[in-house]
Amino acid sequence: MSDQKHDWGPLVGDLKARRDRALGMGGPELVERQRSMGKLTVRERLDLLLDPGTWVEYGMLADHMDAGLGDRFLAADGVVTGVGGIDGRPVAVAAYDFTVMAGSMGSVGEDKIARMRAHAVRQRIPMVWLLDSAGARIQSTSGSSFAGAGALFREQVAMSGVVPMVAAMLGHCAAGTAYIPALADFVPMVKGTSSMALGGRHLVKAAVGEDVTEEEMGGSAVHTKVSGVADLEVADDAECLQIVRTYLSYFPAHNGERPPRRDTEDPIDRRVEQLYDLVPTAPRRAYDMRKVVAAIVDDGDVFWMKPEWAKNLVTGFARVGGQPVGIVANQPMVLGGALDVNAADKAARFVWLCDAFNIPLVFLHDVPGFIVGSAVEKQGIIRHGAKMLFAVSEATVPKISIVLRKSYGAGYFVMNGLAYEADYIVAWPTAEIAVMGPDGAVNIIHRRQLAAIEDDDERTAKRLELAEEIRANIDPYVAAGHAQVDDVIDPAETRAAIARGLRITADKRVDRPPRKHGVLPV
Amino acid sequence: MAEIRAEIAANVWQVVVEEGQMVAEGDEICILESMKMEIPVVTEVPGVVRELHIVPEQTVQEGDLLAIIDES
Repeated sequence: MSDQKHDWGPLVGDLKARRDRALGMGGPELVERQRSMGKLTVRERLDLLLDPGTWVEYGMLADHMDAGLGDRFLAADGVVTGVGGIDGRPVAVAAYDFTVMAGSMGSVGEDKIARMRAHAVRQRIPMVWLLDSAGARIQSTSGSSFAGAGALFREQVAMSGVVPMVAAMLGHCAAGTAYIPALADFVPMVKGTSSMALGGRHLVKAAVGEDVTEEEMGGSAVHTKVSGVADLEVADDAECLQIVRTYLSYFPAHNGERPPRRDTEDPIDRRVEQLYDLVPTAPRRAYDMRKVVAAIVDDGDVFWMKPEWAKNLVTGFARVGGQPVGIVANQPMVLGGALDVNAADKAARFVWLCDAFNIPLVFLHDVPGFIVGSAVEKQGIIRHGAKMLFAVSEATVPKISIVLRKSYGAGYFVMNGLAYEADYIVAWPTAEIAVMGPDGAVNIIHRRQLAAIEDDDERTAKRLELAEEIRANIDPYVAAGHAQVDDVIDPAETRAAIARGLRITADKRVDRPPRKHGVLPV
Repeated sequence: MAEIRAEIAANVWQVVVEEGQMVAEGDEICILESMKMEIPVVTEVPGVVRELHIVPEQTVQEGDLLAIIDES
């Protein structure tokens, strides 16, 4: 130093000390407490999320700047923000630091995140939130200056469908930090250490008198199995961050790009003969649709979305011939594959997600229809079913349908029947497409004739006979004869058929009358 | 102790287990029939079937108790 012309030593040293202090987060004691809860620190999380050497930090030297908090130091004001790479593509990141005042949302920290949102939109790159935050910093915002707050959610809504948004739940999050995931596209939750709820435990006790833990109220079991708010439950922070990387691998950086292809050794025309073992020809017999999907797609890799919720319908990302696709498939193992309110919501959400980011959709039909009866009407099955109808109708990405076995009534429509701008729709020899199954139809078409027969056995025999007459018209070759399905295929050719469908729809364009937006049946 | 309840209004088609029988996670307890489909009901826990509340041909409503398993 001494032989240099000017004495920069103290200045550079001071800068380094300030940086080191920020990198120390909430201090050794709170960092240790963070680790003792089984959580990683915010800096360790960024290392696992991002490609090495790509991190560009914004606002490391930020502090609270709040006179009310005195000379207390809040490293980075409780949230680390910046841009880093995932698989060589940049993403904007906002990572809350629970060791700094419980990761509470301070005004400087929120300004930093606003800057990241703006950056993500300008650069058209994904935005990732790592959430580990108690919510609003009540100490600073308890007064009516709250009247000006809330832009974060409106801005997030404006980003929706423009750039992918991921909210990874890595701690107990309440209120503000529970609405961020609500407006994001993908929400993984760490089992045991994460939760989300509109009101935290203490607020709930004060407001409604309920004594409940964060885990019971909004843990991963609640949100991945019961409420459907989150997408995936993961074992720990490391798995969660890896899952975020894998999720984004199916997505383009923004809605003006196509999703990235990935080379595969799996032959495009591979005959999938396992399907002969997996799927019973008897139409009433159940089987596991997840195995069917895995058998068809590249290398058996499927990224399931909401696998533990509304299990009567499965949704997931996979690739066929290297092309990312979104799979929507009925699951005969659960509720016979019949659609209920949650399955319709799950499908609608997934279809909107794929359509927003140019990911082609593949529908695998084996659906006896929507569940009927008074219980589901009270749940609003018509309104929820309409959501799925709406999403599938609206989607302009390539849409390919494979009818495996049953596809009845509105179930056929919402699974992208011919009339829903299916670009390529093919049926297996076992396919049964009809307004309803023969056993239901016979009681409606021949109700009077059957009621007139007094003897029970005779009436049952007649019913079976008439049902068989109806069944004879429910045949894929009737649909193929009317050219209402494009082909009937050997099940083993299903993978090749999907690949063909993708090849011939790659440049699909749909023009619709201009409008602000439809009126969603939510 | 784990309760197994009907997830859908259905007819009981077959009861696969007997009271006192050992079951493994994923074993079928009964097969319901609804929406034109056979709907297998499986236990998510291993154990012993303590109580069975169903017989074949019976109608069940969504939420009805089908069986109780003593978890092992």
